[in-house]
Amino acid sequence: MWMGRVVGRLWAARQAASLAGRKLLLVRPETASGAEGHRLIVAVDGLDAGPGDRVIVAHGSRVRDLTVGAEVADQDVVIGIVDGHELYPS
Amino acid sequence: MILGRVVGQVWATRRDARLGRAKLLVVRPTGIYEPAFDEIASGEIASGEIASGETAFGARHLVATDDLDAGIGDQVVVCLGAPARASAGGNDVPVDAAVMAVVDRAEIDLHALGAAGAGPGIRRKLTEAFG
Repeated sequence: MWMGRVVGRLWAARQAASLAGRKLLLVRPETASGAEGHRLIVAVDGLDAGPGDRVIVAHGSRVRDLTVGAEVADQDVVIGIVDGHELYPS
Repeated sequence: MILGRVVGQVWATRRDARLGRAKLLVVRPTGIYEPAFDEIASGEIASGEIASGETAFGARHLVATDDLDAGIGDQVVVCLGAPARASAGGNDVPVDAAVMAVVDRAEIDLHALGAAGAGPGIRRKLTEAFG
């Protein structure tokens, strides 16, 4: 899993049938020091997260099967919305 | 499995029900294992990468479940993938990383690693990681 911040939502008029109706979030991974990275990942949302939320994203087909369903064509799923976290510089 | 150091903890009340009460730690992988960490980075390409031009994965951390009561600053062994689920409570837990061991002591011989054919990049990272 990794932590990131939801920076937006994604809509697509034309999309694979297996994605239809799924809420897609754009998530920006954070580094271990808490700084935001530069990449964007499209994750399926099963928890009703919104822009600005810090979330935990898990990766893999099994994770996907267990959370949003085996038919969904994405392997990155939001599995938690972060209340708070503590990071200690090492 | 990879070696890393616990640098933080995360709390999340709104979580997937199957996660249960699992304790979640933030782990920074040790330098040598960055190549393995790239396996995770490949996932973002599969799911549609928008930003480009970055060579390194932006998130040099892992969130891992912890059954062993590891603490901040502990060096830990983290397992990725399906075996991590088994450790975290069964195949029905939606996680992909779990703490498998809290390290008492780790010894790495930089010369032996070099002789085994490790690339200069890995050797450099090792030196950075272990001084």
